[in-house]
Amino acid sequence: MQVGFIGLGIMGRPMAINVARGGHQLHIWARRPAALEPFVQFGARAHVSAAEVARHAEVVFTVVADAPDVEEVVLGEGGIAQGAKPGLVVVDMSTIAPSAAKRIGARLAEKGVDFLDAPVSGGEVGAINATLSIMVGGKAEAFAKVKPLFECMGKNIVHVGDSGAGQVAKACNQIATGVGVLAVAEALSLAKKSGVDPAKVREALMGGFAYSRVLENHGQRMLDRNFKPGFKAWMHQKDLRIVLQSAYELGLCLPATAATAQMFNAMVGSGLGEEDSIAVLKLLERLSGQE
Amino acid sequence: MRVGFIGLGAMGAPMAWHLLDAGHELAVYARRSDAAAPLVGAGAILCASPRELAARCEVVFTMVTAGADVEEVVLGAQGLIHGAAPGLVLVDMSTIAPATARRIAARLAERGADMLDAPVSGGTQGAIDASLAIMVGGKAHVLERVRPLLEKLGRRIVHIGDHGAGQVAKACNQMVMVAAIQAAAEAMLLARASGVDAARVRAAMAGGSADSRVLDVFGGRMARRDFSAGVEARLHHKDFAIVMDAAHDLGVPATVAAQVWQQLNALASQGWGRDDTSRLLCVLERACGRGA
Repeated sequence: MQVGFIGLGIMGRPMAINVARGGHQLHIWARRPAALEPFVQFGARAHVSAAEVARHAEVVFTVVADAPDVEEVVLGEGGIAQGAKPGLVVVDMSTIAPSAAKRIGARLAEKGVDFLDAPVSGGEVGAINATLSIMVGGKAEAFAKVKPLFECMGKNIVHVGDSGAGQVAKACNQIATGVGVLAVAEALSLAKKSGVDPAKVREALMGGFAYSRVLENHGQRMLDRNFKPGFKAWMHQKDLRIVLQSAYELGLCLPATAATAQMFNAMVGSGLGEEDSIAVLKLLERLSGQE
Repeated sequence: MRVGFIGLGAMGAPMAWHLLDAGHELAVYARRSDAAAPLVGAGAILCASPRELAARCEVVFTMVTAGADVEEVVLGAQGLIHGAAPGLVLVDMSTIAPATARRIAARLAERGADMLDAPVSGGTQGAIDASLAIMVGGKAHVLERVRPLLEKLGRRIVHIGDHGAGQVAKACNQMVMVAAIQAAAEAMLLARASGVDAARVRAAMAGGSADSRVLDVFGGRMARRDFSAGVEARLHHKDFAIVMDAAHDLGVPATVAAQVWQQLNALASQGWGRDDTSRLLCVLERACGRGA
C-alpha cells in the first residue's frame, strides 16, 4: 500500500519503520529534514509538505504531540487536507481530546476523506517491538482498510466505536496507567521507608491481585532507578489534563486522577518533566525526606 | 462621565444601577433588550451593539460569564474594539483566565485603548450593597482614572499588578473560598453523622480560630438547608477549570483544589449547578448514603 507517515519522533519513527518492513511504500515529510534520514534505507519517498504526502498515499498516519499539532498538520496551510483525494484515510495516532478528534474527523468528512483516531499504548518498547495496543475510533470500513497496517505496528487492535471512541479509550488507559504508576511508586516508597527491601516487596506482589504491567515494568525501572523515557512525565501530565477536562465537561468525579495530575504538575514545575513519568518516585522521596 | 455597561445579569444589573444613581451618563447593551428595560426607563441609553456603545463612552464595564463571552463582546464582529476611540478604558469585571485578559488587553492597546481586569468577590449581595472586593490588574494611572467609578461599586479596591494580575488574585480567591466551603460541608456532615447538632458546632466554631466568612455565610446556608443561590455553583465550577488550567500550565501542584474540582463535577452531575455552592454538603451526603 502507499502509506504516508508524519511525526517521526520517539514513537513515530519505529512505527513507520515497522510499516515499511511490512512491505509498504512509505511517503514521509518532516519539519526537520534530519528526521527523514533513517528512512533512506527503507526506500521511503520524502516530500516537501504534508499535502504532497497525502497526494501520493492511500492512508496517512500522524503521530504528533497534541491537538494543535494535529490540526496544523491535517487542516493547516500545506496540510494533509489540501492534498487529500476522496477515499484517503487519515489515521491520527497521537493522544488528543476526544472532542478534538471528532472535530477533525468532521472537517475531513466534508472533503470525502475518512478519519480514524487510533491512539496507542505500550510506549517506545511497544513501538519498536510492534506490540502496541491500538484503540480505534471511526467507521468500520475505514478500520478494515487500515487494519493490515495496524497489524504491522501492534498486537491488541480494537475497534472501540465511532469517531472519538479511540481517544476515549486512551483517556481511560491514561487514568489506569497514571494512577497505577503513582500507586506503585507509593508502595515502593512505603516499603523502603519501613526498612523493607522494595525489590522483595515487588516480587511478592507479582503473584497476587496487585499484579499489573505497571508493577512489572515500571516497578522494575523504579527499582533500577532508570528514569530515562520511555514516556515523559510532561506527556502524561498533558494526557491527564485531557482526562480532567472531559471529567469537567461530563460532570464526573475522578478524585484519584485529580490527585495524580497534581503530582505530575509538581514534576513539571520542578524540572522532572523530561524524565519518565516513573520519576514521580523521586518527587515522593523529596516530599518524605528520603532523598 | 460617559460610562457604558455590558452584562446586566444578577451581578451586573445592580452595579449598573449604582453608576446611574451616581449621576453618570450610562449607556447599556444587552443581547436580550428586556434585561436593559428598567435601566432605560430610568434614563440609560440603549445601544444596538458593543461597537456603538464604545463609540459614545469614556469607560466601559463588562460583567459576563466566561472568557469566550468577553472576547465576543470586545473583539467580535460588532465588538467594542471597533468603536473604541483612543483613550477608552475597558474595565472587565468578569472572572476569566489571566491569559485571556492579557490577550484582550494587548489587542486593545493596538488601538490606543486601555484595559483593566477587575474581577470581584462578594456575590450578588455585595453587588447590591456596593461592598464588593475588587482586584485590579493593569496600569496604575488607568486605575486612578476610573477609581471614582469603582468606589461606587465596592469598598476594597486593590491594585494587584499588571494586566492579568487581577484575574490571578481572583483565581487565588476562588481556591481558598471554595475549599473552605468544602471544609465547612465536611465538618457539618461529620458533626451530624456523630449525632451532634451541626448548627451548634458551627456556633461554637464562630468565635475561634476556624471562624471565617465562608463558615458564617455558607455554613449558615448548610445549617438551614437553604440551597437557593447566593452564588450559583456552576460559576465556581467554571472558575475551577481556570484555576486547574493555570496549575497545569505553571507546573504547580494544587492538591486540595483538584479534589474540590471533582466534588464540583459531582455536584454538576446531580443537576445542582444553579443552586448555591453549599450544595457541596449534599454531594458528601449522597456519597455516604446520609441524604437528608
